[in-house]
Amino acid sequence: MAALIRGLRAGRALRGLGRVAVQAKLSPQCNDVRRGFYRATLLRLADDPKSHTSVPPPFYHEVHTVGESSSTSAQGESSAGQEDTQSNTSYQDQSGEHGEDYETEEQLQAQILTSALEFVPQHGWTVEAIAAGAETLGLSAASTGMFNNGAGDLVLHFVAQCNAHLAETLGEQHNQVQLGQADPKKTAEFLKDAVETRLRMLIPYIDTWPQAMSILLLPHNIPDSLKHLSTMVDDIWYYAGDRSTDVNWYTKRAALTGIYNTTELVMVQDSSTDFEETWAFLDNRMKDVVNMANTAKQVQATGEAVVQGLMGAAITLKNLTGMNQRR
Amino acid sequence: MATSIRTLVLRVVGDSTRNIHHVLGSRVKHSFCNAGITVCRGYSDGKSTHFGFETVPEEDKAERVYKVFESVAKKYDVMNDAMSLGIHRLWKDTLLHIMNPQPGLRLLDTAGGTGDISFRFLEYTHSMYDRQQRQRARSNQTPSWQDLAGHYKTDEAAPSQSRAVVYDINKEMLKVGKQKAEKAGIGTGLSWVMGDAEELPFDDDQFDIYTIAFGIRNVTHIEQALQEAFRVLKPGGRFLCLEFSKVSNPLLERLYDTYSFQMIPVLGEVIAGDWKSYQYLVESIRKFPDQETFKEMIEGAGFFCVQYFNLTGGIVAIHSGFKL
Repeated sequence: MAALIRGLRAGRALRGLGRVAVQAKLSPQCNDVRRGFYRATLLRLADDPKSHTSVPPPFYHEVHTVGESSSTSAQGESSAGQEDTQSNTSYQDQSGEHGEDYETEEQLQAQILTSALEFVPQHGWTVEAIAAGAETLGLSAASTGMFNNGAGDLVLHFVAQCNAHLAETLGEQHNQVQLGQADPKKTAEFLKDAVETRLRMLIPYIDTWPQAMSILLLPHNIPDSLKHLSTMVDDIWYYAGDRSTDVNWYTKRAALTGIYNTTELVMVQDSSTDFEETWAFLDNRMKDVVNMANTAKQVQATGEAVVQGLMGAAITLKNLTGMNQRR
Repeated sequence: MATSIRTLVLRVVGDSTRNIHHVLGSRVKHSFCNAGITVCRGYSDGKSTHFGFETVPEEDKAERVYKVFESVAKKYDVMNDAMSLGIHRLWKDTLLHIMNPQPGLRLLDTAGGTGDISFRFLEYTHSMYDRQQRQRARSNQTPSWQDLAGHYKTDEAAPSQSRAVVYDINKEMLKVGKQKAEKAGIGTGLSWVMGDAEELPFDDDQFDIYTIAFGIRNVTHIEQALQEAFRVLKPGGRFLCLEFSKVSNPLLERLYDTYSFQMIPVLGEVIAGDWKSYQYLVESIRKFPDQETFKEMIEGAGFFCVQYFNLTGGIVAIHSGFKL
């Protein structure tokens, strides 16, 4: 099946090659070599998911060197020649086959946003930061046009990155507990540590975080920010061991969401060393929730006891008045 | 009623063709010397293309387009306002908003003619730069002496960095544009270059943004222009095309067609004294591929993240692509 698809692609590529040859009038070889090289390196980026962290800097470096030095054009030509059949497919028939292109475009966008995070303390959560990030990658500042949501894209990318990091950390801790290398924590403590870990990721950007929060509250960003928040809270509860299937599922997540949001707000105006007051606040809130849960249980138990007492009193009364006689 | 309009149009076009052919023979040499158009295309073994609703040999199209714009150059802006009821300014403003250029970028305004896009670009980047300076000043209320000293050093470079090159095949349009620039007092950061969009006289990787507003439908080989655009853009550079396109709503389409074929040539005759050029204008709009087809052509030239925005119900579309 995969071979069939590859055969179809090769067929289309050959037709595509014919088209390219007819249309290219100006120094066709040079153009195709360079374009083939862009494609070749992009394809390598797509085909190498494992090494995607190491590929980016060499990728852009290589693009520039081929563009400038003719001595390496021979190398570019051979790689273009080898991969030409494959590469022509995706870029002549982009309307049909988007698989590889979308991967590389999204990866590129993610790279730009990640490098833009360095400039956030200087420029704030704005398009200027994205432009500065793109420039460090060797791209023109005009590429910020790819992000239709501008600063919103940057903030959402950062939030997604933090949540992924948190999930990874919690997963590792979970594995360690499973392997018996660490003791399982009590629920309240686990939640507290998870929220603290997540909030500590904001520390480098804490000065501009209010701006980010306001961007997340913009109406067109609310669906995305709510989605990120709810998946994060869900992840934390999952690793805390919650497998409830009744209304507790909702109450637990609602409680944790409330705790997280209020602690975040305390954190942005906290000026103590290492945000001690924030962690103290968090501690108190967790205790409140635990107390609330205990109190709820007690109230329920007391309620049941009271009801039973009343029932007993009523029956005694009935006995006394002789209404319960059996004849 | 449609058929009678069609016969009228055909008759007018037939008349105009005879006139233009006659004029063309005697003025071909004149246009060679002045415009410096490369007519090596003359050896293209008799291929033909469309010029409005007519079919003409490929080599002739460029000269005929040149004639059209040479004659309308002086009244070009006035006619734009009259024909589009001033909405063309909103279209161009929207193009700039979508572009959202940062200060310090280089723009190649192809088929820039009278320079509308370039002027807007320079204004936008200058005001952006001013805003950034003000924000920096506001956040820097009590700077140290070292900060101030550093500020004086870096200050001169930035505003002159945003540069726009107005590039057009037609000398008359560039002349009108230069006069406009002088009157508006826009001088720094603007250059005027004459040449063909299919063969740009620039090195590779020169420009951050390439725009072509209401010009690409006049190019004989659109794919070649797209490939040239790809070549001169830097990695990460953006291609933007503002052009008339297919209207999606059928009712609007009928109104638009009626307005185009009935009103516009008449306005052309009354205001600019040139019926035939404006006839060519509305016909060439109909001959241009629709949004999706043009998007595929742009992707074929190697651009990524290609998308289009319809303005005024599809009368005008902005296509955008990136060189990644």
